[in-house]
Amino acid sequence: VSSVRLAWARFVAAFRKHDLDREFDEEVRSHIALATEDYMQRGVPPAEAQRMARVKFGAVEASKDAHRDSRGLAWLDDIFYDLRFAFRDLRRDRAFTITATTMLALAIGLNVTVFAVMNTMLFRGFSLVKKNSCLAYIEEHSPSAGCCSYPDFEDWRAQTRSFEGMAFIGERPISFSDGGGERPVDTLAFTVSNNTLELLGVHPFLGRDFVPADQEPRAPPVALLSYRSWELRFGKLPDIVGHIVRINNVPATVIGVMPRGFDFPVQGDLWMPLTLTTELQHRGPGGPPAYFAFGRLKEGATLAGARSELDAINRRLAASYPATNRDVVLSVESYSKFFIGPNASVIYGSLWAAGWFVLLIACANLANLTLARTLGRSREFSIRIALGAGHWRMVRQILTESLLLAGASGALGWWIATWSVRTWAAATASRYQVLDYALDDGTLTYLIAISIAAALLCAVVPIGRLLKLEVNGTLKGGARTATQGRRSKYLAAALVAGQMALAIVLLSGAGVVVRSLLTVVDAPTGVSDPENVLIGSMALPSEKYGNSETKLRYFDRLEVQLKAIPGIQDESISNTIPVNSGIFRTFEIEGQDNPPDPGESTQFLTVGSDYFRVVRAPVISGRAFNDGDLDSTLPVAIVNESFAARFWPNEQALGKRLRAKDRNTRGGWRTVIGVVPNIMQGDPLRQHFKPLVYAPFRQDPGTHAQNSDGAGFNGAYFLLRTSVPPRQVAQVVRAALQKLDTDVVLQEFTDLRSSFAFRQDRMDLEHAELGKYGEAAPIFALIALLLAAIGLYAVVVHSVNQRTKEIGVRMAIGATGEGIRNMVLRDGMLPVAAGMILGLAASFAVNRILQSQLVGVSPYDPATVIGAPVILILVALIACHIPSRRAVRVDPVVALRQD
Amino acid sequence: MWYVNMWNINMSRVLRDSKLDLLQGTLDLMVLQTLNSMGSLHGYGIARRIEQLSGNEVLLNQGTIYASLVRMVQRGWIAAGWGISDTNRKAKFYSITKAGKRQLKEDRTQWERLAVVMSRVLATSREGGKP
Repeated sequence: VSSVRLAWARFVAAFRKHDLDREFDEEVRSHIALATEDYMQRGVPPAEAQRMARVKFGAVEASKDAHRDSRGLAWLDDIFYDLRFAFRDLRRDRAFTITATTMLALAIGLNVTVFAVMNTMLFRGFSLVKKNSCLAYIEEHSPSAGCCSYPDFEDWRAQTRSFEGMAFIGERPISFSDGGGERPVDTLAFTVSNNTLELLGVHPFLGRDFVPADQEPRAPPVALLSYRSWELRFGKLPDIVGHIVRINNVPATVIGVMPRGFDFPVQGDLWMPLTLTTELQHRGPGGPPAYFAFGRLKEGATLAGARSELDAINRRLAASYPATNRDVVLSVESYSKFFIGPNASVIYGSLWAAGWFVLLIACANLANLTLARTLGRSREFSIRIALGAGHWRMVRQILTESLLLAGASGALGWWIATWSVRTWAAATASRYQVLDYALDDGTLTYLIAISIAAALLCAVVPIGRLLKLEVNGTLKGGARTATQGRRSKYLAAALVAGQMALAIVLLSGAGVVVRSLLTVVDAPTGVSDPENVLIGSMALPSEKYGNSETKLRYFDRLEVQLKAIPGIQDESISNTIPVNSGIFRTFEIEGQDNPPDPGESTQFLTVGSDYFRVVRAPVISGRAFNDGDLDSTLPVAIVNESFAARFWPNEQALGKRLRAKDRNTRGGWRTVIGVVPNIMQGDPLRQHFKPLVYAPFRQDPGTHAQNSDGAGFNGAYFLLRTSVPPRQVAQVVRAALQKLDTDVVLQEFTDLRSSFAFRQDRMDLEHAELGKYGEAAPIFALIALLLAAIGLYAVVVHSVNQRTKEIGVRMAIGATGEGIRNMVLRDGMLPVAAGMILGLAASFAVNRILQSQLVGVSPYDPATVIGAPVILILVALIACHIPSRRAVRVDPVVALRQD
Repeated sequence: MWYVNMWNINMSRVLRDSKLDLLQGTLDLMVLQTLNSMGSLHGYGIARRIEQLSGNEVLLNQGTIYASLVRMVQRGWIAAGWGISDTNRKAKFYSITKAGKRQLKEDRTQWERLAVVMSRVLATSREGGKP
């Protein structure tokens, strides 16, 4: 305790230096006065008495120092001194300080941003949900369906030992009105088992959680609102609890509101209790609607353990219920892996590494600049060392300076990171990734740690140089020797080479990723001039358009309306559009006792008569559908080339028969009447055209349409080929729809070209992040390239400045301007070349890691392998060229007179 | 404490000043003894008293005493406060505290033991020098 007390007393004293000094001065004065009086009493004359008192006291300044040393903390004073000194020094060298701080702040900000994003993506996930990492997502698949069944879930829940609890969730489209009698809107609700919120550890912000009674088939309908819908639809109505709303035209009571920011499993408007209807009691995977289960792992349980346990339970179920559960497999994944995709660690890990590369480049720049400064001040350092300042003292000064710089950069970097994480969150916001990006204490600690690491990295090279400083040589040799010291030149060159290597790795990494993204975006779709096709989806209210006749009647009237609009050449309805997935159905082909793989399914589409004219993919053989293909006539189908080549490789497809063969229903045979060119259909990577079967809309109007989420809805899409830009007729089309029926909801109203744009939720899980990745990677590469170029530029400028005298001498003895320029360029470009070779070699290794993310591009993509170095060399040449021009302008007379 | 260890400085070295350890310990003991026997005294008074007892053997300059005083104040062994001297002059007065008395007792015991040991050691070495 006493040592703590002492430390504290001294710590305080170090900050009260001024007061304590004054008090001690007074004490010294009083001491001398007392002593003088004493001598005078003993008979010494006053003047002599005072002199003797002073002599006896000793050196006042020395005793003051001793007083200060014993009461305060000498090292703390030293730190203050170093800080003041460093601060003054940095203020004097403003250009250096601003450049260094900006570069480092940028690099730190970038690095922290990636860290925060990675932390959220890989480890944190949902906002408000406690211990996200313990959540597992469970789904069951059979060859024809991929959706959990409730009885299976009940068995898992009863038998599992790995999970603390399990819940069952489904999503269903609903029509919702707030009970005020206005028009209902279509939205999504989640039906959840009553323990869901409890298992997530989230409680309603207002009102109550679900209880088991809510789940009974005859329970009065209730709903929990999301904070968002409470805010947007009800204006934060205070007495919302107990309010009656209408869901699918049935009154339901609002029992509560969830806290702000809570969304689960994806963004939605409300949660309803799962109702244990008889429909839900079917065993085996089924759907739609889609259901899944999730569980919270017990303390100490692993995901792998849970997976094998559930597999074992599932095998028992397969034995007990072979009819429904025979070929069922389970997928058990961690939540983050499910929602972020299996390759998130590759993506965010590599972005993080890229963040470090940029930081390293910035540090190398700073090390080079500090090195140049240290060498510029070597005379000052030498004098101080010669005068007795310890090396440690000098080292501390450089360290303090670096730490001060890194501190300022860290503060700026935090600000940059706050901004860019917010930008990232806004730019990547998606219904499907409900993520909590808040910067927390962990991120702050990380920022402080990397700032200190950066400071040390920047300081280590100059310190190493300083410790080797030859005092004698420097003092004798004058401020500048004629040529630059060889050692420091090599050091600077090595740092430049390192930067270039890192930049090349980033450039080529970004290159292959961007090329992958472009491969997806620019892939052939099979549709000509998609920019002149206007599309939109029409969701028909089920109450009004519940059966095929009412639907067909609506579409007939719509057709008439649309045909009358000038500027529309062809129109067709269809149950989906080329970017969306069609409905996958298992099928059989007449005369082949395969399909080759018994579970094989293919996409079935229902399209209008003029569909192939609208998309400009004219029939290759046979005929297109026409208005004569009705429910009452021969059931027909058209297949694409890919289907024909796959199933009738050496035969004529026309006249063959096939039929859909779903689990319960067996459709009638359809005769193939035509073969059409391949058109993209829903394939996320767009690398292959898949086999497709088209059926006439009028022969199958009951089929649900498939929206971009893959969810079915009652309605259809229209596709309109326009002779004018689609924007010009959009308003007229919208008005025509309104005129027909105001209850029909028009969505996804755009042109076909725009619908082909990259969208994360259309990608498969493995490549879901490709868009973000492809946009983030070039930013890193550009910043890296820029920093490396600045670094190179600074080094060359410094070297030219150092060698002014040498250049003067060379020119005086006959070197030409061209010769000088070549010399500067050669010296500058040599380390670039070395770094480039090193970087290329490294990038071959790095790009292999990215392979899982690449689409249609080799990790050793020739365009990238050639392009990245060419870009680097061009930028480096510019960075060297500017100072080389200055070198050429050196006037030998002036240069030689210098110093 | 982290702020100390960050600079890799040994705590005991920070708090104790290295060079004069032995002498300072002696001086501290003398000051404590003086204050213990004389009660409250100002810096000059303490210095005079020590000079009277020891000549100029310990105190080279009277000013030296203040480093010792401030250190002991910080340790809580003595207390300090401004007051008025016999000659009606403002001066800072020092007095021993309870902790100081404890310290004095401890130091005295140790010093006496050391003195006994030292005199014994020195005595044997003198005999050993003359066989």
